[in-house]
Amino acid sequence: MRRLLIAATLLVPLFGQHEKDGEESKNPAIGDPKAIEAGAKIFAGGCGACHGPDGQGGRGPNLRQRVFWHPLDPKTMYKAIQEGVGGAMPAANLPEDQAWQVVAFVVSLTSPAIENPISGDVENGRTLFIGKGGCANCHAINNQGGKMGPDLSNIASVQATLAIRESIVDPDADGAVGYHAVTVTLKNGKTISGVARNRSNYSLQLQDRTGNLHLIDMADVTQMTLSKGSPMPKDYAKRFSPKELDDLVAYLSRQSVRPYEKEKDEKNKDKEKKN
Amino acid sequence: MTRFCFLTIACLASISSAQVTFEDLKKSPGANWLTVAGDYQGKRHSPLTQINTSNAANMVAKWVYRMPKAGGLRTNPIVHDGVMYVTNTNEIRALDATSGRLIWAYKDTRAKKEAVNRGAAIYGDRVYFVTSDVYLVALDRRTGAVQWQHKYGKIEEGIFASAAPLVVRDKVMVGVAGGDTGMRGYISALSASTGEELWRTYTIPAKGEKGSESWGKYVDYGGGGTWLSGTYDPDTNTLYWTTGNPWPDFYGGDRGGDNLFSCSLLALDADTGKMKWYFQFTPHDVHDWDAQAWPVLVDLPLDGKMRKLVLHANRNGFFYALDRITGEFIRATKLVDKLDWASGIDAKGRPVELPDKGPTPSGNLVCPGVRGATNWMSPSYNPATGLFYVVTLEQCDIFTSSSKTPIPDKNFSGGGAGTKPKDLGQFFLRAFDPKTGLKVWEYPMTGPAESWSGTVSTAGGIVFVGDDDGQLVGVDARSGKHLWHFNIGEGLLASPITYAVNGKQFVSIASSTAIYSFGLHEPVQAVPLPKIELK
Repeated sequence: MRRLLIAATLLVPLFGQHEKDGEESKNPAIGDPKAIEAGAKIFAGGCGACHGPDGQGGRGPNLRQRVFWHPLDPKTMYKAIQEGVGGAMPAANLPEDQAWQVVAFVVSLTSPAIENPISGDVENGRTLFIGKGGCANCHAINNQGGKMGPDLSNIASVQATLAIRESIVDPDADGAVGYHAVTVTLKNGKTISGVARNRSNYSLQLQDRTGNLHLIDMADVTQMTLSKGSPMPKDYAKRFSPKELDDLVAYLSRQSVRPYEKEKDEKNKDKEKKN
Repeated sequence: MTRFCFLTIACLASISSAQVTFEDLKKSPGANWLTVAGDYQGKRHSPLTQINTSNAANMVAKWVYRMPKAGGLRTNPIVHDGVMYVTNTNEIRALDATSGRLIWAYKDTRAKKEAVNRGAAIYGDRVYFVTSDVYLVALDRRTGAVQWQHKYGKIEEGIFASAAPLVVRDKVMVGVAGGDTGMRGYISALSASTGEELWRTYTIPAKGEKGSESWGKYVDYGGGGTWLSGTYDPDTNTLYWTTGNPWPDFYGGDRGGDNLFSCSLLALDADTGKMKWYFQFTPHDVHDWDAQAWPVLVDLPLDGKMRKLVLHANRNGFFYALDRITGEFIRATKLVDKLDWASGIDAKGRPVELPDKGPTPSGNLVCPGVRGATNWMSPSYNPATGLFYVVTLEQCDIFTSSSKTPIPDKNFSGGGAGTKPKDLGQFFLRAFDPKTGLKVWEYPMTGPAESWSGTVSTAGGIVFVGDDDGQLVGVDARSGKHLWHFNIGEGLLASPITYAVNGKQFVSIASSTAIYSFGLHEPVQAVPLPKIELK
């Protein structure tokens, strides 16, 4: 009950502030590697007790499960940190610069990886992606690589750095929806293997290793083998050293079809009613 | 493959592997619906006959796909080998066209603008769509993997993008919107393989160029948006694309002259973008009557001679027939009864304007209204009936003007327009005979006169249309007699299509928030749960 109360009291004011998104770039701490690093330490020493050391949630809400086109509003977050939230979250009363460092860290938890600093070696990460890791056997970047796994050409625009890391060391963390390995035998004796991009009791949208789609009526399926989770190896935390993992995350954190432009043109985000 | 797949035993699984070629695009539509208009000519006429006048009454909803966070969808689906592609703001999704199940989705979450989107294009192994901030995005049509996106305009110059691309041979034709706030419209051809811009043709001339003498001081921001896809004649390699209104929309005091090439139809060489000819429907427009309605290409005998025509139902209230080779004006007839700004169209194609029908500071009642006698809602043409089907609006509006100094990109349109109290107007689906330009039949609608939905015609003898009460309706193509309807229950801003998978015909339309697909009723077969082994 208390957990629900904390979540409700914190999230309501944050969700109500989307129209002020454009102000996030006004504080120089946002997106600054040193500020984020300093903020992470402050966060772990205080906020982490409730929100988890990496913001994954605990007694307090998970701060990493947000959609990117509705980012947290830094000013509201700053106010919540400094003044607390309705008695459910205590006031931190930090020096202003430190409070903004915490804000910078929390923003980095949910903002696209391309907008945040990286600590690894991008080029070495690329070498690992196509070499030791074998990632390119299943994943494509810029049309190079396999088609069985999610395309990663734009991963840094849609995933936060932490989420990218988590997907590597724990591929089932997000359920691997749309990428469970599947083999079906049809009434006509034909067998098809691939990943289930979607499925129900009535239809199956199967993508095979070459990328071709098979739109299957489940009434025609006599037998199906399905992986419990992602077919991706689960041992990358052991296969890679911490440095190699940083490098791979760094490489993926720079895969974006759009380059990062710090200055956001929020004024153009008005909905066009016409044309 | 699926086109010829009519036996269930042979169709246990659909395989989406064949590349889409230029020849495929020329042959569309069949089982596939490969361009927003279905074909290059804009006829929106399908050869499918499984659903016809004798059995349309048995149509039922087959599936619904609720588009996440959608409101006011304007997407016209395209369908290839059992996969349907639909778009929303900065977003494209692939659906199983037999079940409505999602296959993949791609959203450009970092686009700098949010505007409506009218649909996708397909060619080779790629699907294409535009982002609101004027990027062409190319994706693997099977996996949804983004292959590249190429910027072809700057929102800082007052433009944005919403039109569905049109692929012609190895080029992707794209347009831009934004003509109501001051910009300079253009049509671009981008490489289908790289996105590189191969040519660009502006709809408003630069100072000193031919046509610039028809402007006052605002030629740099003259508008002329290109926010609806064009049509194409493969025989002459000519692209037909309409242009939007001049800016400021409702105040023409500082832009004396015809304001070329606004409110026009442009015939362009598809290889170079060079203008072959233009025809301006509404010179010096002050009523926001964009020409952006579909130019439909048909060949018909007129006065004993076969003519290559382009038919165009215009917002200004007239239904035009032009020679599509030369641009010669042939004829214009009235689309609507409520038309009081011009007495007709003269022998050269120029409106014979009546006095005192422009916007005034205190307001002036003019017919048609600002939405026009028709608009972007798609017309269709059935070669068997020889009829042209178009949704029309009988309505007038009060137009006001403002001589305030126009400032580009400040949402200033030089005035405005609004409905006369208690006169919402009425929509009609109308069938015209292009040989005479005269109305053959009409089907009245009964809703609140808020609709942007058009038509699709089929060889089954049916015209499907979205009405202004949120209903998809099927009427007899020869008589306009009602055959079938389904109450979707929300606004319709897009036009229906039809396609077939595994020998079964579907009729589909985007409502404001979802995609609906209909077909003939057949008993649902019980599906036994398969043996699933989890590993």
